Amino acid sequence: MISLAGRDIAHAWSKFVFTGIGLGLLIGVTLTMAGVYRGMVDDAKALLDNSGADLWVVQQDTQGPYAESSSLPDDNYRAILGMAGVARAANVTYLTMQVSPLGDGQAREVRTMVVGVTPDGAGHPGQPSYLVDGRHLTRGHYEAVADIATGFKVGQRIRIRRNDYTVVGLTRRMVSSGGDPMVFIPIKDAQQAQFLKDNDAIVRQRERTAQNPALNRPGVPGLLDAVIASQSSNTSVNAVLVQIEAGTDPEAVAEPIRRWKRLSVYTRTQMHMILVDKLIATAARQIAMFLVILAVVSAAIVAFIIYTLTLGKIREIAVLKLIGTRNRTIASMIMQQAIALGLIGFVVGKVSATFWAPIFPKYVLLESGDAVRGFVTVVIICVLASILAIRAALNVDPAEAIGG
Amino acid sequence: MDKRDNNPSPDRGIRIEGLRKVYGHGDTAVEALKDVNMVVAPGEVVGLIGPSGSGKSTLLKCLGAVIEPTSGRMVLGQDVIYDNHWNISDLRVLRRDKIGFVFQAPYLIPFLDVTDNVALLPMLAGVANAEARKRALELLTALDVQHRAKAMPSQLSGGEQQRVSIARGLINRPPVILADEPTAPLDSERALAVIRILNQMARQYDTAIIVVTHDEKIIPTFKRIYHIRDGVTHDEVGEGRGID
Amino acid sequence: MKQALASRLRSISIGAVLLLMLGLLAYVALRTGPLAPVPVSVIMIEKRSISPALFGIGTVEAQFTHRIGPVAAGRVQTVLVQPGESVKAGQLLGEMDPVDMEQRIAALEASRKRAEANLLAVQAQMLEANVRTQFAQSQAQRYEQLLAARSISAETAEAKRQELQIAQAALAAVRANQDASRQDLLRAGADIAALTQQRANLRLVSPVNGIVTRRNADRGTTVVAGQAVVEVVEPSRLWIHVRFDQQRAHGLRAPLPAQVMLRSLGNTPVAGQVLRVEPHADAVTEEVLAKVVFAQQPQVPPPIGELAAVTVKLGALATGPVVPNASIHRVDGRLGVWLVDAGDLRFAPVRTGASDLEGNVQILDGLAGGEELVVYSFKALTIGSRIKLVDQIIGKKP
Repeated sequence: MISLAGRDIAHAWSKFVFTGIGLGLLIGVTLTMAGVYRGMVDDAKALLDNSGADLWVVQQDTQGPYAESSSLPDDNYRAILGMAGVARAANVTYLTMQVSPLGDGQAREVRTMVVGVTPDGAGHPGQPSYLVDGRHLTRGHYEAVADIATGFKVGQRIRIRRNDYTVVGLTRRMVSSGGDPMVFIPIKDAQQAQFLKDNDAIVRQRERTAQNPALNRPGVPGLLDAVIASQSSNTSVNAVLVQIEAGTDPEAVAEPIRRWKRLSVYTRTQMHMILVDKLIATAARQIAMFLVILAVVSAAIVAFIIYTLTLGKIREIAVLKLIGTRNRTIASMIMQQAIALGLIGFVVGKVSATFWAPIFPKYVLLESGDAVRGFVTVVIICVLASILAIRAALNVDPAEAIGG
Repeated sequence: MDKRDNNPSPDRGIRIEGLRKVYGHGDTAVEALKDVNMVVAPGEVVGLIGPSGSGKSTLLKCLGAVIEPTSGRMVLGQDVIYDNHWNISDLRVLRRDKIGFVFQAPYLIPFLDVTDNVALLPMLAGVANAEARKRALELLTALDVQHRAKAMPSQLSGGEQQRVSIARGLINRPPVILADEPTAPLDSERALAVIRILNQMARQYDTAIIVVTHDEKIIPTFKRIYHIRDGVTHDEVGEGRGID
Repeated sequence: MKQALASRLRSISIGAVLLLMLGLLAYVALRTGPLAPVPVSVIMIEKRSISPALFGIGTVEAQFTHRIGPVAAGRVQTVLVQPGESVKAGQLLGEMDPVDMEQRIAALEASRKRAEANLLAVQAQMLEANVRTQFAQSQAQRYEQLLAARSISAETAEAKRQELQIAQAALAAVRANQDASRQDLLRAGADIAALTQQRANLRLVSPVNGIVTRRNADRGTTVVAGQAVVEVVEPSRLWIHVRFDQQRAHGLRAPLPAQVMLRSLGNTPVAGQVLRVEPHADAVTEEVLAKVVFAQQPQVPPPIGELAAVTVKLGALATGPVVPNASIHRVDGRLGVWLVDAGDLRFAPVRTGASDLEGNVQILDGLAGGEELVVYSFKALTIGSRIKLVDQIIGKKP
């Protein structure tokens, strides 16, 4: 017995392959959408992993520093360093702002998350965990380490707020939960950037202060200057990142800090829940819904195409039935073709998704689990669609072949 | 009408007695076949002529075990295949092994080459591929289309396709061949060629062939013709010209 | 025949397409995603000596800022200089309104004159008392002689002696008066001197040769004691007040050489020296403060308050294994580096020493030099990551 499915495919193989490619692109789009969703969740996870922290200490009763704004005095870290189980603690600030590269007239400004870290070197909380070029911060001012997604290069000068920085190192996958690439600068510069506005605003603020008679007393020389100086300094940070001693329980270290320092402390699991369940939940649900719709539509289209291909063969099927082909043989021919189409589609889809995923502006994570699930789903849909088509085929009256 | 009995050989030949087919029931009942009687001897090629709506197709479908008659008797060789009810359990096997079809259009499977189109039937019956192809090639040679053995149906001319279709109808050496307007799309020369081949095959393999037609070009070739009108047949002697 | 050839060609092309698809699938599965090896770039660890340096941001300041103003509340009468003018030591910069001081001086003058006159009067009295005393003296002597000659009564002699005593007492009184008058005169003189001194205080005078940097009040403004009307600095005595992060200020001490970068000097570094490290650090900002002077005074003095970036070079350290700081990672709480050992990845814990500003870190413990060190990687590495050595992680540099 020859393989009817094989012969049919071989006879019209270009049509078959092109149909497979078309299906494949649709499957690829669906896989990519799943990748976009996973990428969003992974961005949140990357944010937590890359901060190098086991605990986040933030302003009391806030869920900062990512989901909510949090502000605490920068000398808290000294007290935290002294608590049991704390190995290292460092201040950190976060601010999303536009950063523009200098010197290159065509380069556009980039939306980034500027992270202020203490330039203590590798291995400390807040530092990027690995570099792809350059070095870590060594100077206490005016240096930056940027993520490659910003497009900056080592040695490039960039402007953040009021100061210019030199990019000394590049990282990868250091992104905020919203997918904005990060730029790490020394924390003192970041505190100033977070606080100080542009020159015009500063001058107007000074004038406003000078017009306040309580602060500008003629009988007390130096008072106005002191007040202006205190207005121009910022001693707040957004969070303290803590690394705990090896082998200690994070919750056990966090509880005393909560109780005695009147601060809120989150462990990594709690932070993950905050990020995923609260911060990115809406956007993630949006994408998940679209993904579901896309998957359903793709399934429908795959089914439709297989059904239509089969119906195009009604005449041959009627003839086959008339000349005495078993129903089983006809059914198996249709199902084999459907599954072959599904396989081609899946391969095309997976390969094309892999090749175009890196082009997306935000991270697209194509998990193998998703690929396997996609494969199984494609095969099931092909089988189900072919069953519908087989039923239609087998209901064909062989008498159709004999004309009226 | 006259029931000729031409001494059919014991396991070949076809005999139809009092066949009746009613479509629908009650007020909308249509009696497509009222009383059909036919006898075809092995090796005989008879024509079946009638206007449209006379029940030709219905008769073919009953003969081809594609639809079930309402009442009557159909005998194939020694087997009573229908006696007011089907006597055969697997009609598909009957169609595969005992009845050959030649259609108006060749209806070749477009994705099989000529040899495989013909060899498909024995393969379906469980014959080994090589053996089936050998038999197919023999038939194709007999029909003078062996030079197209490896071609795809779309590459053949109409006449060649028709001949392949005839080969397919014959390959299982069925005792009966039902041909439905086999010459309709052909010109007179080709039509006569087809009839000639049918007669040849009938004689060679002792096959009883019924040809449904209204092609004026070939009607004179039949030795015997059945007319059917309003579901009733009557036969007459034909001219039997031009096929020797 | 041609048909056989065509169908063979078709089989081959179908086979080729299938092979291509399977190949692509295999490539995708093995080269991307979790099964793919992580690209890393490696260097060989060298042994060399690094020169750590300290980096701080400072502002240009004058070493001494002379804020010249009145010692009592008053009104500004004149200001004679503008910011930027050169002044000499002793030059008059401005004056406060003396109000009634002139009049008071005049009054004191009159007082003094009166004291003088008083003194004269007293001196005349003194003469008179002197004369009387002398007369009384000679009378007393005469009558003593007469008493001795029993010409007169003892009573008369006694009376004359008494007159002498009275005259002497009167002389003493006048003498005391004279002293008092002299002191009065002195006091008046001192009062005048004091008020004149205060009058001089109302003159604002530059204490040094320098440049006026600020003019805080104009004619007619009322200022209080302690408020500066004019500020003068010496441009040849500028220094840079630098702040170093406490954690990165180890080794900062006095006569170390420094490089100063000023925007006004066009970002070419200028040589300088650490003058002193301030005994008081800034506890709030956690910075160490220091003063850095220029090795040579710049020809055009930079504006006071301009930001300066100061790099202080510490001496070179002993030779030893040195790694770039990008290669140091913390795994399971321990600081260390990833080494490539015969194609496999290995984590070596290290103890780090000092580092320089280019990111080279001295390794005190844990490495010998000559190992293959992973500097950059495409993903975070773990024990058991499969790696692939490449030249550059992120493609060609522009």
